[in-house]
Amino acid sequence: MKNKFLILLMMPLLVSVLFACANTNSAPRVHPEAVTGTPNCTECHTDSWAAMNHQAVDFFEKHSIFASNARRACASCHAESFCADCHANKEEIKPSDKYKDSPQRWLPHRGDYLSQHRIDGRINPASCVKCHGRQNNERCVTCHK
Amino acid sequence: MISHQEERSGYEQSSLLRIAWVVLAASSVMLSKPVMAAEYTVVGDSNTYLRMKTTVDKNDLYPLYEYLRFSVSVAEKDGSATSLHLGAWGRADLGDKSTNDRVDGDLQYGFISYQGAKNNLVLNAGRQFVTEGVATERIDGLYVRNDLAAGFAAAAFIGSPVVTDPIGRLSGGEFIYGGRLSQGKPGLYSVGLSALKSNGENDSRDREEQGLDLWVHPLQQLDITGRSSYNSITSGWMEHAYTISVAPLDTLTISADLSRVNYEDYFFNVTTSAFSLINGTSGIISPDEELTTAGIAAAWSPTKNVTVAADYKNYSYDLAGDADYFGGRVAFVLPDSLSAGLSVHRMEGATDRLRYSEYRLYALKKLGAVDLAADLFNVSYDKSINGVKDSFALTGSAGYRFNEKLRVWADLEYSQSPDFDNELRGLVKVAYAFDMKRSEGGGNSEK
Repeated sequence: MKNKFLILLMMPLLVSVLFACANTNSAPRVHPEAVTGTPNCTECHTDSWAAMNHQAVDFFEKHSIFASNARRACASCHAESFCADCHANKEEIKPSDKYKDSPQRWLPHRGDYLSQHRIDGRINPASCVKCHGRQNNERCVTCHK
Repeated sequence: MISHQEERSGYEQSSLLRIAWVVLAASSVMLSKPVMAAEYTVVGDSNTYLRMKTTVDKNDLYPLYEYLRFSVSVAEKDGSATSLHLGAWGRADLGDKSTNDRVDGDLQYGFISYQGAKNNLVLNAGRQFVTEGVATERIDGLYVRNDLAAGFAAAAFIGSPVVTDPIGRLSGGEFIYGGRLSQGKPGLYSVGLSALKSNGENDSRDREEQGLDLWVHPLQQLDITGRSSYNSITSGWMEHAYTISVAPLDTLTISADLSRVNYEDYFFNVTTSAFSLINGTSGIISPDEELTTAGIAAAWSPTKNVTVAADYKNYSYDLAGDADYFGGRVAFVLPDSLSAGLSVHRMEGATDRLRYSEYRLYALKKLGAVDLAADLFNVSYDKSINGVKDSFALTGSAGYRFNEKLRVWADLEYSQSPDFDNELRGLVKVAYAFDMKRSEGGGNSEK
């Protein structure tokens, strides 16, 4: 009991000290150089920002890790609506229809997805859940009662 | 007596009202500050879409959508900033009803944010998207993040989860909170511990998840990312997913990934029956299934304009038959002139449904103010589905840029699939940017 009390007392103190001693510079709100298209971050960056190369084969798989670690860096180029295009509470136009003017972009659900969703849902249903597990699933109920 | 759906609807309305008040109050404060500010920026856009299609039962659908998004930011001379972000859409059916409601819409996000000049401090209030470790959530609530000393950083959020619960019996929770504590050295590594908890009606345990995430970048040529998440209600690991990326040459990148998903723990308390676990006669997903994936991909860019890539992924199940997905793609880009690509993939699985080939060919050409695009996507099944072996969609589109702010785009898509013999769909898009310029030479990309 005494130990728990000490831990409860020490934790806020430790956090307060860490907070008081923090002195990092915030990431820039706006990317210093204008960027167009799908950027290859390695053209300028040689540190860990280079890993965020949007042209890398695994950028899509890794983008959630970057969003956790460096959301302010994402926001230096992307508006909030960029996330909402896919991670929406409620959406009726799939991203690949909304951006047919950008066929070079990686966008989910191209073509006739009504047929294909049964196959993708069998292959890896976990990949659907981030966008459709608890959000954006009103259309699912049309068939999935 | 009111139904669960009605209760939820009332709850959502009150949440929206609360957000509206917060946003209005915050806007008043912000609009009173520009005199003191170093920089005052308004960025916004309006995208109007008219979709056209005829359904199998001969209904003519002409839903008209308006997507309105804007942000106002006030930057102080010390580098801090206060901003307001709003994004919403609305739809009106000009022809037959496209859904149960002739008019519908959604507030996608609406929050006020304070970003500190030091310590990456962020304070958000309102409807927002939170990405902190195990949390990838849209909430109506508060979020705070700050760097601490010794490479530590902390984030916390609290609010009401924004979830869709279309059948009213799969609860998405009434209250959610969580956070992430990370420690790292910039440019070298970051390790995070995160947790979230969501309670439903009568304090029922909807979700309790904990996670570990890491990002290790020991060398310029090596990058390792990954996460593990644990469900403490079911007492099981939901997911492990790790990726290692290597760039032995400037022109070559290689990536390998490994993941494991335990269905019973991962699909716990989703709000759609499409992913609900089998329980008696209901549900689709087997709780006894576990999926392991292992993949490798490589991309080679012999010139700045050309990328050649190949990828392979193996899907291994404890219950269902395994599958392999492999293929390649070639992309060619001339900046501000031409983008073209070709990809070919093959799914080779244990069942008929999992044996098909996938092809895609696209091109986008810019001719002054005119953009032209063509896109063909075809899936060729080894064994026909509903008598159809090839499911394809062919899209032709054209756009005209009147000026930097106004652009019109139209496309026509013809498709054949196991569900539709011949389907023709059209879409007209009018995009207008209020102001896409940063006041002091900043950068924009795929806004």
